[in-house]
Amino acid sequence: MPAHDPHQIAARFVREAGGQLVGRTRLQKVAYLTQLAGFGDDLDFEYRHYGPFSEDLATGMEIAAGLGMIKEEEKRAEWGGRYSVYQTTEQTPPAVDATRSAFVAAAAKIGAIELELAATAAFLFVTEGCDGSPGKDPWQRTAELKPDKAANGRLELAKLAYRGLAKLKTHQPLPAIA
Amino acid sequence: MFSHAFEEIGKELQLPLARHETVSEMLIRDSEVAEVLRELGSGFANDVADVIKGGKPGNLYDAVVSSQFDADRLDYMQRDRLMTGVQSSGIDATWLLANLEIASVQIGADADKVGTVETLVLGRKAFHVAESYVLSLFQLYPNVYFHKATRAAEKVFSRLMLSLVPLVRDGDSARTGLPTNHPIVRFIREPTILANATALDDAVFWGAVPLMIESEDLLVAECARRLWERKLPKSVDVRQLLEQDEPPVHHADTEARQQRAARIALRCRAIVQAFEAKANERPASSPPVFIDQVRRPPYKRFQDSQSLLNQILIQSGDGVPRDMAEISPVVAGAETFEVCRVYITERDTESRSMLMNIMRTSVGEITHASP
Repeated sequence: MPAHDPHQIAARFVREAGGQLVGRTRLQKVAYLTQLAGFGDDLDFEYRHYGPFSEDLATGMEIAAGLGMIKEEEKRAEWGGRYSVYQTTEQTPPAVDATRSAFVAAAAKIGAIELELAATAAFLFVTEGCDGSPGKDPWQRTAELKPDKAANGRLELAKLAYRGLAKLKTHQPLPAIA
Repeated sequence: MFSHAFEEIGKELQLPLARHETVSEMLIRDSEVAEVLRELGSGFANDVADVIKGGKPGNLYDAVVSSQFDADRLDYMQRDRLMTGVQSSGIDATWLLANLEIASVQIGADADKVGTVETLVLGRKAFHVAESYVLSLFQLYPNVYFHKATRAAEKVFSRLMLSLVPLVRDGDSARTGLPTNHPIVRFIREPTILANATALDDAVFWGAVPLMIESEDLLVAECARRLWERKLPKSVDVRQLLEQDEPPVHHADTEARQQRAARIALRCRAIVQAFEAKANERPASSPPVFIDQVRRPPYKRFQDSQSLLNQILIQSGDGVPRDMAEISPVVAGAETFEVCRVYITERDTESRSMLMNIMRTSVGEITHASP
């Protein structure tokens, strides 16, 4: 159970991302990597379908939208699916930590697919011990789980993006997987 | 053994073989089941195990095993309805299966396209039956799966197991009332041995209950007795009381309904947190209380946790399969069923008073400002 209300946490991510955050995938993966970097929201993540997912965060965002703390607009993607765009409102809580905001903003700029791949690789390192030893490479395992998304060079782009995040100032280092 | 409740316990106590998919995967890869499957090809057992383990639809076969319209749901909906006597929630499985087609759909993440994949879709003629399926499944939750008696029993079962496991792990199995060679004791002692996991089923548990009634641990004994005698703790439906306190506005629009739902959710959370804090201050010998917070959307809208393969797709007039929630106003409009209850034993007037006091004093503005 997070120490702070999940709806506050969820809404604050949108503020920290620069006022707009595109996509639920992005929200979940940014939140996971932010927590992994030691900025601590105490959200419980589990491997759900395509990567680390927090039910509390998802529900928190629904509540935040319901209370007007953020504005959610659902749009149709070119590929036919739907995605959400979150924007701050007057009632969005302020950011509280400049270092954390810088990390969130940087993570939020990464492409959704690359972010998902990177967050999944990090999750596999933490939860399944995919530490890079023979047969336990987290990126290889990620590619096995998500072959369509890892194709066309996206896995390499994900590694590059992860390395970029790992260089930022954080409260604890991201796992050294790239 | 009561798989869903046991899995939650397994997560909390780190018992990987409490997860039935894990056990299934191991059996398929390495048991007499594997021997039979290998007759169809040397790698076939592993292929089947990968599909079972996946737990998410990444291709057509995965969607049959795990999606919002998978074989398991079609089975348990009909079976659970029969076994519980629920008269609603009937589905026309024959018509649904007769109208299954395969189509290519595009997939992506947020706004980004990934590619195309084949998956199951339903023909247009099955639209209304599919709508009925979604609503039927949804209604099984308040009527069966989230019924207060079902959930109270699950909570008591969980509390019993959460008390039992540490006793065995601490070398105190003699206090459980169970013999040292009982399958439950063996599993707790060596939870990674497959044979110990497969030795557990509902019958083993029920056979153990009369023994656990004699446990020297008072909580184990009480929980066992309550299950045996079906004297389940009584439900105080916090959410229902809050909904009565803030009834829906007539002709409210979607935004107003969402605001109301958010306020009630926050009030539920605050009340439960305050109650738990006070309950934890009581002596260990106090009667047990059980918190129940769970939610079930009628249809999981496409969101991050899902793939488009997880959705129920209906062939549209232009040949493009569309998500059920986009073309059915009934499915799109149905709201999440949420539970917030506290189960209190019949003589525990102190806990009941405590809860009602917290509810009376919890009314206040839900502030948006950050702390």
